[in-house]
Order: sequence, then structure tokens, then C-alpha cells
Amino acid sequence: MTPPLLSLLVFLPLAGAALLWLLPACAARVVTAGAMLATLAAASAVMVAFDPDGPRFQLIERVLWVASLNVHYQLGIDGLSVLFPPATALLFLGALVASWNLVHDAPRFYYSLLLLLQCATLGIFCALDTVLFFVFWELTLVPLYFLLGRWGAVAGSARVAAHYFLIMLAGGVPLLLAFVLLAASQSVPTFDLLALLAVPLPHATQYAFLLLCLIGFGVKVPLVPLHTWLPQFALAAPGSLTALLVGLKLGAYGLVRFAIPLAPDAAQDLHWLLAGLGTVTLIYGAVGILAQSNLRVALAYASICHVGLAVLGLAAFTAQGVQGAVSLLLSFSVATGGAFLLLEFLRQRTGSTDIHSLGGAAKTMPLLASGFLICGLAGVGMPGTSSFPGEFMLILAALQSHTGAGMAALFGLAIAAAGFLALYRKAFFGPVTRREVAEAEDLRPREWAVLIVLIFLVGAIGLYPSPWLEIVRPAAEAWAAGLAR
Amino acid sequence: MSGGFSEILWPVQSGLPLLLVLQLLPLVGAAVVFAFNERSTAVVAGKVFALAELLLCIVVASRIKPESATLQLAERFVPLGYHVAVDGISLVFLLVAALLTFLMTLYGMSRGMISPGRLFAVLLVAEAGLVGMLVTLNIAWFAAFSALELWAVTYLLRRWASSRAETQALARFVQYQAFGWALFVGGCLVLGWSHADATGGRWSFDLFDLAGTVPAGKFQTAAFYLLFYGLAVRTPLFPLHGWLPNMAQHGLIAVGPALMVGVKVGIYGMLRFVLPLTPAAVEYWQPYVVGFAMAGVFFTAALAFQQTNLRRLLAFAVVSHTSLLVIGVFSLHEAGIQGTVLLAANFGLAVTGMWFIVGFVFRRTGTTELGELSGLFERIPFLAIAFLIFGLAIVGMPGTPGFDAAHLILEASIDSFGALPTVAAALGNVAAAGFLLWAFQRAFLSQGKQGGHDVDRTMPMEYLVCGIALVAMLAIGFFTEPWLHLTETASQAVAERFAR
Repeated sequence: MTPPLLSLLVFLPLAGAALLWLLPACAARVVTAGAMLATLAAASAVMVAFDPDGPRFQLIERVLWVASLNVHYQLGIDGLSVLFPPATALLFLGALVASWNLVHDAPRFYYSLLLLLQCATLGIFCALDTVLFFVFWELTLVPLYFLLGRWGAVAGSARVAAHYFLIMLAGGVPLLLAFVLLAASQSVPTFDLLALLAVPLPHATQYAFLLLCLIGFGVKVPLVPLHTWLPQFALAAPGSLTALLVGLKLGAYGLVRFAIPLAPDAAQDLHWLLAGLGTVTLIYGAVGILAQSNLRVALAYASICHVGLAVLGLAAFTAQGVQGAVSLLLSFSVATGGAFLLLEFLRQRTGSTDIHSLGGAAKTMPLLASGFLICGLAGVGMPGTSSFPGEFMLILAALQSHTGAGMAALFGLAIAAAGFLALYRKAFFGPVTRREVAEAEDLRPREWAVLIVLIFLVGAIGLYPSPWLEIVRPAAEAWAAGLAR
Repeated sequence: MSGGFSEILWPVQSGLPLLLVLQLLPLVGAAVVFAFNERSTAVVAGKVFALAELLLCIVVASRIKPESATLQLAERFVPLGYHVAVDGISLVFLLVAALLTFLMTLYGMSRGMISPGRLFAVLLVAEAGLVGMLVTLNIAWFAAFSALELWAVTYLLRRWASSRAETQALARFVQYQAFGWALFVGGCLVLGWSHADATGGRWSFDLFDLAGTVPAGKFQTAAFYLLFYGLAVRTPLFPLHGWLPNMAQHGLIAVGPALMVGVKVGIYGMLRFVLPLTPAAVEYWQPYVVGFAMAGVFFTAALAFQQTNLRRLLAFAVVSHTSLLVIGVFSLHEAGIQGTVLLAANFGLAVTGMWFIVGFVFRRTGTTELGELSGLFERIPFLAIAFLIFGLAIVGMPGTPGFDAAHLILEASIDSFGALPTVAAALGNVAAAGFLLWAFQRAFLSQGKQGGHDVDRTMPMEYLVCGIALVAMLAIGFFTEPWLHLTETASQAVAERFAR
């Protein structure tokens, strides 16, 4: 009997949160750091235990949960999801370090919320039962609401938190409906993803399911026009929280894991819808960057732009497309997450991330500036960074399947890169005009450590991507084969 | 003639007539507490009796076989028309009623009310009324117990009202309830009469007899409307909810509303009596009832957004989610009915918990106006989080009983009404999330004008009351299986009458 590695991974943060309350408040962040390191170790162990050439889904744990509804507690991973837990663990560790000295009131509460969020996020990546997935999906909302509402960066953050909560809750309605519809379409109602994948849905149900999923996941992705919450969230939330929310592409993961494989015929019939949404989102995000003066909001638009590219690539329904999408999403966790963390460091020093109150920041903070440049370039898909392989595959897949949209995507990416560089120039170069910038100190050792790890990953994956891509490839091929009609 | 019902008499399942004990215990308790008058032993005795009743309910739950569709532990005494029995559905309601009464005795203590002994006596009388309604199979007895409970609540309102406008609230309450009760009794008479007609002059109000002689045509419609609207006032269902906001705002804060809406006897009455006794009328009027309920979900949600008083806001929240329950009942689908039963228990627990917290806040601040409350989170974080969790339970957050229940209702609703009304109902729920969150933010998170430093910290009794409610809630939420098992067969039995 193998140890239940995935349950251990998912519930380690929760155990840490429980431990917090047994120890005095001053030990809270150390305990949290310990729990997150242990989670990272568990995530790495999962990665090692996973055999890319073995069966599609591995490390499966299955316990009957609610017998009369046929709901199972079922966890498992495949090549598409196995890299997400380590990325999640890493990003949470980064977020913890970024807010190391910031939490003074009710620290135990803050850290247990952070750990609860981590537990729910890991659960989303490991769940192979639609109800269990939905439980974890909705569970992320509570900690996010409190973290933003109570420890927000600006005065109105409680309102933004409620706004976010309600939008996500409304997004949950079509999602739950989709899962119920899915279960009801079977001869024996089931929520087991593996069983559902084995039996193709009736044609008409597929359309309803796909459209409901597109709304439900589209809100989270976010796909234009369901994106309105993200820029205001990025502005109101502390950087560590934005890094978590934007870095972890839960919505796109949901599309890859549930929406498309469970409704293959409908997805391929509606390929124009997916590709169109992807392209519009991409162009919108790219143009959006040009209009921003705040680096955090600009970064939020950049992430909208890239996730649009991922959706466009998915619409090719090839192994290459999904492999590219997954690697881009993973790279994003590291690169965009890192960029948001650096912006948080910058905000702590200068009190702002608006270019009008920065200017010349590279003079006083060269390390921070160069770190941000590297993460930012990774964010726009510079060759040699971790995003490049994924982006390249996506563009290739898009050009083959939707040539026009692919051309438009190339154009959009160029705009995004230009927009980013223009903002970077205004914020970090030029004369120093403000006292806060002139007096700011560069990165401290603790912050350094975060940066080094992130940049190492960005560079290492970018220069030598094949081991990572090989983990994803077999699963991506199986995914694409499952769509063939 | 038993109209498709069957029963197992009590000697088969237990050595005692458990249901009789269950009904008498609160009455005895009330008498004992009343006899102790204002001595402190009265308070202790009140708590002990409430706890004993809760334990007894658990014993009853352990004795019955939920997988059988028959009514169980039945007792009959023909000369008085006394006929009681329970099944999975009534047990869920019974457990909620006993748990809430027990919590109210704890809560009453911590609030520091005047003459708690008398309060507890009346509370136990109200509990006796509730329990009586939930176990009886005689519709006239149901009406009688209902009158007993209404009397108890009226007395509570008169004696322990928390604001000057109480007389207005009291008058409104009595007018509405008396009217609703009269309608219900009218419905009983129609049914009894038609039974007498069919059997040559033998009157009966027993469910088993009545179900065998369902009146035809217009009489059935009349009976349906009288019974349904009688219960709708009680439930309360939009647009007959006028008594609740006033009572919530001016009456005794938690105990009054909790007794009236914590245990959804109105919903129970529809399941137990209205559905089996007027099946054709139910099927005929189903679209209209559901349409009204749909409108009610949104209309009252919109009204809730307008409120400036936390207590009134909660009252509208109750009306809004009661509409959802009625949609579940009138889906006439086994999953929908099962979901309704669980959701009713969930709503009852959650709303009562919220009302308790409002009471605790009122004790500290002397107000429940949202404009005057602020920043309570800093001082009473436990209560704030409990409030939010109760709110999330109402919205059907995973991990609370509301989730599986809402899930069942959605499934039934898709089957019975199609996707669009289902989505609409579910969005109504999101609207509820909206105003509850909004209230939470204004009362607990907003920055205080006076800083809120004069607010006491959470007291042990408050931890206990909210803690028990929270644990019960989350325990049911994560381990739904036993509850689904308990209600499954009974719900099927109700739905079977409506073959589709």
C-alpha cells in the first residue's frame, strides 16, 4: 500500500494552519514557512513519484464520500497537472516572503487563510471528481475574500473583495449546473472524471455543458468580456495576493481538464468560438497595456493577453497546442508571479507602482529593476526565458489551425512587448524626481533569495526546456487523442 | 382506507411510547420551570429539559429504520383522534427544533434577559407546540398545536419586546397569524367535511382517512388554497410575509424569529398534509406557485438590499430563501423534496445562528442599524467569522449542508422546469450572497467612526452557542451521507404520489 501522497500534499497546509493556533502568535510566520516548505517537498515528491511514460492518471486515491449521490473523494494527477503543485507551492512561499514584515494584526488568522487558500488551490489541481473539484474551487473564495477585504492595499479593498466574491460565486452557478447536467446525462449519475471521460456525452448535452463551462471558467480565466474584476483586483490587492491569483491560472486549467475533454465534439464544432474568444482576449489585453500607467494593472492586462493566447492555442485541439498551453501557464506562475512579487517589494519602498511617481527607479534599485526586467521579458515571451517554448508551440499550433487568428496573435504579442518596454522605461529609467525613489534601498537578502530562485527557474527552463516538456508530452498526446472523432 | 400510507406501531420498535414522551417532556419542563418561578434553579431546569428533549430526539432517530417508507413509532388513541408517527423527514425537522430550543436556552442566559425563568417556561411551551406539529398525523391536532405555539410566541413578543414600536409589530403579527390560522382551519374543515360526505357522516381529520377520501374538483382546489395560504402566512411566503420584518425589528431579537422561522413547520406542513391530501390541485397549480416563488426570490432580495437595519435585512433573507424551499417542494420530484428538507434544516440553523449573533451585537452596541455599526471584526472576530459562515451556508457554500441540498434542488428543478428557471433560481441565491456580504462588510469590516473600542470581547457562552451551531452545521456539511440516507426513502414516498 503506497502512502496517500496526494492527500498528504493537499492537506499539509491545512495541518500547518491548525498548528498555528496551538502555538503563540509570534511563531505564526515561521510555522507557516515550515508548512509551506513541507508542502513544496511533498509536491516535489509527487513530481518524482510520477512516471511520465506510465498510465495517464497516477497516484489515484479513491474513497466513497457521499454514497447516495455517488460522489467520491478522488485525487490523482496526470502529466498536464503534475507540474502545477510544485509551481503553486513555490509561489505561495514567495508570497509569504513578500509579506514577511507586513502582517501585524491578527497574524495567525492571516497565515491560516493563506494556508487554507493553498490547500484549496492544490485540491483543484489534484481533484478527479467534479464535485470535489467544485468544493475546492469555491473554497478558494473565502480566504481570498478575507485576505483582500481585511489586508487590502487601498481603502476600498473591502468593496473590491465583495465584488470579486460575488462575480466568482455567480460564475460558480453555471459551473455547478454544468456538472449536474453532466452527471444526469449518464445512465448511473456519476461525478467521477475518469468514468465520464470514458463515456462520450450525447451531442446536445455537450453544447450545453461546454457553454456553461465557458462562462464558469471564463470568469476565472478571465476571458474578455468577463475580465472586469481583474484590473481592479490587481490595484486593490497586496502584490503577494495578486501574484497568487494571477500566477495560478485556475480558469485555463479548468478548460484543459474539464470543458474540452468532456465535450470534445462540441468544442471542435465551436472551435471558432474558442479561438475567437482567445484572440479577442489577447488583443484586448495587449491594447490594454498601452493605456495603463500603473505597473500592477499593466501586468494584469499582460496576463489577460497571454491567457488569451493559451485559449487560442487550445482551440487547435492538437497535442502541441495543449502542451504549449500547459507550459505557458506554468511559466506564468513563475514569471508573472515573480513580477508581481517584485512590484510588491517596489510598492513597499515607494508607496506606489504608478509610473508617474516612479521614474529612475533603476538608479537606486538596480537589482530590483533587473529582476523585474527578466520576469517581465519572460512575461512577454522573450526567447531564452521559460515562456518561450510554450509560446512558440502555441503560435505554431494557432497558425496551423486558425491562420488569421495566429497572425493577429503575433501582432498582439508585439504590441504587448512594446507596451511593457515603454512602461518599463518610464518607471525605471530617466531622472529620479521623487524623494521616495531616491531614498529607496535595494533588495534585502530575503527578497534576493526569492528572486534568485525565480530567475533561476525562468532561465533554466527557458534554456533547457526538454525535461519539462517531456513530462507534459505523453499526457498532451493522450489528451489530443481523446478528442479525435 | 389508509390512502397509501402504512405505519409500524410503537411496541414493535421500542419499549416506550417515545413520541408521547417527546411531546410531554417540554410541557412538564414548562410546568417545572414555571413552578420554580424566578429562582435560579428555574434557569438550570430549563436548560436541562431542553437538553433532555434533544437527547430524546436523538434516541428516536436511532430507533427508526430510515430505509422503510412507512411511518414509524406510531401511536393511536382513537377517541381523541390522537395519532402520531415519524419518518425521516419529520425527524430532521424534530432534531432541528430540539437543537434550536436548546441553543435558545443557552442564548437566553448569555443575553441577560429579564425574568429568565418565565422566558424559559414559555420557550418550552413553544417547543411543545413545535414538536406536536411535527409528530402528529391529524390535521386538526396540527392546527391545535400551531395555535399553542403561536400563543407562546405572542406572549414572548408582548413581554420581552426590545423596542417601543412593539405594539405595532405585535398587532401585525397577531393579525397575520390569526388570519393564516383561520385559513388553515377552514381547509381542515373542507377536508373533514368531504370525508364525512364520502363515508356517510363520519367526521375525521386523520391523515390516513383523509388521504383515502380526497375531495374532487372545486372542493379540492378550495382545500388546497386554504391550507396552502394558511401555511404560506406562517412560512412566510412572499407576498404574505408582512408580519416578519416588523417582528424581527421590534420583537425579542433572536428567540421570537427563531421560533417562527428557524423550524420551517410551514414547509413541513406542505410536505406532510398539502401534497398528499390535494394532489390534483397541487399538480394543477404548480406553475403558478413556482412562478410566485421565483418572483419572491428576487423581489425580496431586492428589498433586502434596501434595508438599513440588520434585523430587517435578515427577515427579508428568510423570505427570499423560503421561496427557494417552496420551489423545491413544488418540483414534486424526489430529489427536490429531499433537497428541500435538508435545505430547510440548513436555513433554520444558519438563520438562527445569525440571529443569535445579531443579538450579541445588540447587547454590546444597543443598535442593529447598519449605519451605526462598524469595525466589529476587530473586537469580536469569532462572532464575525461565525456570521459569515452562517451567511455562506445560506448561499449553499460547499462544506455546509446547503451545498448538497442546493445541488439536489437544482437537479430536480432541471428535470421539472428546465434549465432557464433553474439558472434564475440559482442566481437569486447569488443575490442573497450579495446582501449578506454587504451587511457583513458594513457591520463587521468597515472602519469605525468611534473606533469600536468599547465593545466587549466574545464571552464563553457566546463561543459555546455559536460553536455548537457551527460544528453541527459543518459536521452535516462534510458528512451528508447519514442525512441523505435518513431522508431518501421518505422523500421518495412523498414524490411517488405525483407520477410523471
